[in-house]
Parts: sequence; C-alpha cells; structure tokens
Amino acid sequence: MNNQIGPWLAAARGPMLVAMLPAAVCILATLYLAGWAVVFSFTNLELTGARSINWAWVGFDNYVRLFTREGFLNSLWVTSVFTLFSAIIGQTIFGFGLAVALRGNRSVLRNIVEVSIMLGWLLPDIVAAFMWSNTTSATGLINNAVLAPLGLQPINFIDQYALPVVIVANIWKGTAWSYLLFSAALDSVSREIIEAARMDGATPFQGIRMIVLPMVRAHLVTNLLLVTIWTFGYFALIFALTGGGPGRRTEVLSILMVHQSFEVGKLGYGSAIAIAMMLIVGLLALAYLRQLKEPK
Amino acid sequence: MFKRNLLAVAAATFMAGAAVPALAEVSIAYQGDFESLIAPGIAAYEAAGGEKVNAIKLPGGDNYSPRIALDLSAGTAADVIMVDSYIVAQFAGSGYLAPLDDVLASWDQGKYFMKGALDVVSYNGKVYALPTATDVRMLWYNKDAFAKAGLPLPWQPKTWADVIDAGKALNKAGVKDAFLLEAGTKWGEGTTMQGFYMTLLGADTPDGDRNRLRDRASGKWIGDSPAIRRTLQFYQDVYVNDKISSPAINYVADPFNDTNNAFLAGKIGIYASGSWANNCLWGCGNAKQPTQAEKDKLVGWTQWPGSGQPGAKATTDISGGWTVALNAKAANNPEAVKLLKAIFNADNLGKWTVSSASLTVRTDIADSAAYKADPYMSSITPLVADTTGRDTVPGYDKVSALVQDMTTGILDGKSVDDVVKAYNDALVDEFGADNVVTLK
Repeated sequence: MNNQIGPWLAAARGPMLVAMLPAAVCILATLYLAGWAVVFSFTNLELTGARSINWAWVGFDNYVRLFTREGFLNSLWVTSVFTLFSAIIGQTIFGFGLAVALRGNRSVLRNIVEVSIMLGWLLPDIVAAFMWSNTTSATGLINNAVLAPLGLQPINFIDQYALPVVIVANIWKGTAWSYLLFSAALDSVSREIIEAARMDGATPFQGIRMIVLPMVRAHLVTNLLLVTIWTFGYFALIFALTGGGPGRRTEVLSILMVHQSFEVGKLGYGSAIAIAMMLIVGLLALAYLRQLKEPK
Repeated sequence: MFKRNLLAVAAATFMAGAAVPALAEVSIAYQGDFESLIAPGIAAYEAAGGEKVNAIKLPGGDNYSPRIALDLSAGTAADVIMVDSYIVAQFAGSGYLAPLDDVLASWDQGKYFMKGALDVVSYNGKVYALPTATDVRMLWYNKDAFAKAGLPLPWQPKTWADVIDAGKALNKAGVKDAFLLEAGTKWGEGTTMQGFYMTLLGADTPDGDRNRLRDRASGKWIGDSPAIRRTLQFYQDVYVNDKISSPAINYVADPFNDTNNAFLAGKIGIYASGSWANNCLWGCGNAKQPTQAEKDKLVGWTQWPGSGQPGAKATTDISGGWTVALNAKAANNPEAVKLLKAIFNADNLGKWTVSSASLTVRTDIADSAAYKADPYMSSITPLVADTTGRDTVPGYDKVSALVQDMTTGILDGKSVDDVVKAYNDALVDEFGADNVVTLK
C-alpha cells in the first residue's frame, strides 16, 4: 500500500482539514439521527400519552411485528413494484431512450421535449399530485378529452388502476433526471466509434447494445443507484395523490412509516419500519456499487 | 431529553421546516376553518393593547392534529393552540397542556360554559381546554340527485337497508358514488366519527355499551363485538358487495373540498357529515354564503338511521367539537390567557357561533336573540337531546387511528374476520390483553 501523500496535499493539510468540516458535520448528523432511530426502534415510545413519558425497552418486538402484523409486508411489495416499474424500468429506459433518440438532434422538437420533461421534474410534488388527480379522476382530463368524445364510459383511474397511475406519474416526474444524465454520458461517446461500428455492418440496435451501453455502463449504474434510493423512500407525490389508498393499494413504506409514527403515534414501531427501509436501500446500494467496479 | 431529542428530530423532518418558532410575545396555532372565530379574536386582543400575536394558521384536514401532536411533543408548539376535543385528554395526560380551572374561576364569563361540554375536555378532574362549540351528525343528501333517482323528498330512511336501497336507485340514475361513508385514513378522525361511530351506535342495543368502542363501566376497549362486525359489514356492502360508491372517493387529492364540490354538483348523492355542513359545504366561514332558502333548495339532511336490528336505536348521533387550549409552557404567560379570553369573549364567540352554524356550549349564547332566531339552529337543536360523546380518555386517538385502519382493510377487500383480528391484535399490543374485551 502506498501511504505517501503528495507534497502539495501535505502542504495544504490545514485548508484540507477545514474543507473536510462540512463532510464531517454531515456524517455526524447522519449517524446521530440514524442512531436515535435505531435506539427508538427497540422501545415502545409513543408520540403522545402515557408511553410518551413512561416508555420501555421492548427488544425486537417492533421488528417481529413487521412480519406478524399486517401492513409492512404489503407495503414492501407495493414499494418494490413501484420502484421497479417507475424508477428502474420506467425512468431509466425512458430517459435512455429519449437521450438516444434526441442525440445530435437540434430541432425545435428536442426543445419541446426537453422543456416538457424538465417541467415535470421542476414542478413541486404537491402541484404534480393535484395535476395527476385532476387528469385521472372520473371527471378529469383523460375522461373528458379522450374517452367521452369516443363515446366510451368514463373510467375512474385512481379507483381501478391506483398503482399504475402513481407509477406513471412518477415516471413522468423523474424521467428528466435520467435523460439529463444519459445525454451527458452519450456526449462522451465519440461519434467516430459509432460510425466505425456502422461501417462494420452493425445495426443501430447492435450499435447501442454492444458499443454505447458498455461505454456508459458507469453512468447507467450511477443512475440506477440514485433513482432507486430516491424512489424507494418517495413520499410526497403518492401521499398527496392517493394517501396510500384506495385501501392499501398504494401504501408504500414511507406512507406506512408516517402513518404508524405520526397518525397512530407509535414512534418505536415507525422507527423499526424506517430502519428496515434503510437496510433494504443500503443492500440495494451495495449491489449497485459492486457493479460500478470495472470488470477485471 | 431522550424522548425530546427524537421528537424534535421527527418534528423537524416531518414538518420540513414548516414549524414557525414563536417570535412574538404570544403565539397561536389554529385550524384554518376557524379563521372567522380566531382572526377577530386576535384583532380584539391586539386592539385592547395586547402584544403582537404570532398567528400560525394551518390548513384544516387530517394532518392538523398530527402536526399539533408533533409540535407539542417536540416542545415547539404555540402558546395558544386549537385542539380537536377528542385529543385533549391525551395531551393533558402527556403533560402538554395547562389546566384552566383558575382561568375559568377568575373570569366573569367562565360560568356560562355548560358542564357536559367541560367534561369532554377534562382530565383527572381538571379542565384543559375551552370548547368553542359542539356539533351533531346527520346524512346530507343532494335533492337534485334524489329527484333524478325518483326518490321521495324529504328523505327519511329507517334502516341501513333503506340507505343502501337509496344508493342503488342513485346508481341507476347515473350517480356512481351514491354514498360518501368516510373510510380510510385520509379523513382522519372524520372516518371514525362521521362514518364508523355513527354506524356503530345503531348496530346493536345501547345496553352495556354494546354499540361503542369502549366499555365505559369496566374501562376496557372493545376488540370484537357483534356491533363492530355489523358496522364493518355495512362498510363492505357500501364499497364492496353492493358497490354503491367507489372506494376512491375517500382518496381524492383534497378530500374535504373535492367532496363538497362533488356533493353540491350532485356527483355524490348522500354525504355522512354534520351540522357544520350547512356552512362548510360552501367553505367554512366563507362570507359569500348562499341564503338558507337557496341552500335548502339544493340539499337536505336526515338523521342517521339505526341498523334495524332488534333493540338498536332508531336514529344515532355523536357529538364532538373543537377547543382552544393553553400550552403547559405558557401557563404563566398572562398574555396567552388574555388572548384566550378575547377569542372566547361572548361577542366574538356569539357572532361566530351563529354564522358558522355551530351548536353553542354556553348558556349566555344559547339565550341570545341572534342564536334563538336562527332557523337552522332551531332545526338541529332537537338532535342534541339524544346524542353522545366519544370515548375521550387517553388512548382514544390511537383507537381512532386503528378504527380507520379497519375501514382501510375493508376497502382493500379483506374479510370482516381478518380486519377485526388485526384490530384486536393492535389493541392488545397497545393496551395489553387485560384492557381489551370481546363482546359476544
């Protein structure tokens, strides 16, 4: 191992330490906050009432209840479906597809597409939720502008397709990020390589699969890592759009956690849900990070 | 410290910076639907030489009470706080509120508060909040929708079956969401009270508290009973079996406003609501209300019928109401007490009571000419004769949240057996097996 540091870095040790302060603060704050959540997940602490004062240690009770009480397993499933289809498949594929399709395109069309997907990204979640609610309700835009003129019966999308609606809403909301990242990545793939592949007789699809994808692999994994983390704990859009319903059909883990912690008031149980979420996302992140390493 | 730290963190993350620290000498947090009561109260207090008030107006709806609970437990709550009456005992038991007995005793208007109303906001023999008013609950219906469905007006259902039949007739006439029976978590306490408890009270004989959530004699929560099962069955009929409404009506983006609009437009036929609806259907405290005659032409109300089971009540009612309390931390702040008195001053409270169609809990306002002369108030006052209150003891807010989860389960297509079992398990987790009882 090489423990030597460069002479320039050694000379700048003071300023470097100062520059590290923000990072140190962030790391300590994270450990402190996560530490409290871990501690509380082993108690029966509640938001109000007797157990807000006289709480007790309950061991792994809260964790056992994740599996013996209804709620957590359902939410884990809903969250997995939501993350898989809206982030891993939806945002990533749409973002990549758009980036490939619009690459080198300088037309007005590209501007229009970019502005529309950026709008989705920039719009506050709550505004987006109301927009999608108005679009998909029984008297909403789709029914009034599309289905009714065709003589079809109106469909209450939230009632019949709640999870697909929030998935589509989130794809719409988050595609811009993947698109931007992939656009930048594709710009780094030189035109000559693709030209050369074409000269060698590669179809456009083969060009993407065998030339472009391997070259942007690191970007792809980074993108998957980030959208998975964001989507797995995503709250505002779904909460405002459906509140987790109808029934529990869109009750993702973050909504279950807020419901148990602040509406039912069981902070201990809510903390256990939070820790479980952290572990799952942590494992997913580790899996992605391993992929980031260059293949030998 | 242990708890405070986590709660502060929780408050900070959940509220995402929305918590406004009290900068002025006196602060108040209140629910926006009560603007027409609180704002003039603040103005009167300031005009009388009071301090500048830091008024934190929060949106109404189901997130108000969790927000206040978080603020109180994190120690960041305002000096004067509007609190839904169901949670006063819980907050008092947590040491968050200041007792108000001395304030009532030393104030010339203290004697006007009716005893029953003060009982609701009492804990261990002390009063912890001042009630603004109370309410009664009923089924509101859209007269246009009923006429279209060929249903008789005025509508007078005698049993739950009559309600379902009316719903089916409305469905046939094109009103897809015939009956808004509050379910799920988006209504918060509204699901428990306007929906579940109103149904529950008519599900079985009132003897031995068989139609309640709590057996008041033994002080135990009822984890399973014929009444609870019948009530869930009724939910199942409305949303799953007969499908006279779609579950989605409980999950619209803005439940209260969206529902008001849909109901007034005849897209919802029957709305389980309360006496405030006469005002709040057109925006609580909105100055541009239609006249009473215009309202009566559009909507009507009827008493909630019982199930029709032998021994069950013919009609049911349960009352709640909002209160204003004093943060325990502000117990020694004379300005906070002055602000409280300004809001509850007979003149301010009296004007609001009549304009907001609220049932007063003060004898002086009940005797006032303006209150007596109001035709709507006269029409609902008889309902007060046969109403009851919630089980406003510590723990009720938990039970209420679990009741909402039961209705969520029904909307989710679960069986009554499964839903009741989950409820009973959760009650035992919370209160211990000794404090939960099953009625056969």
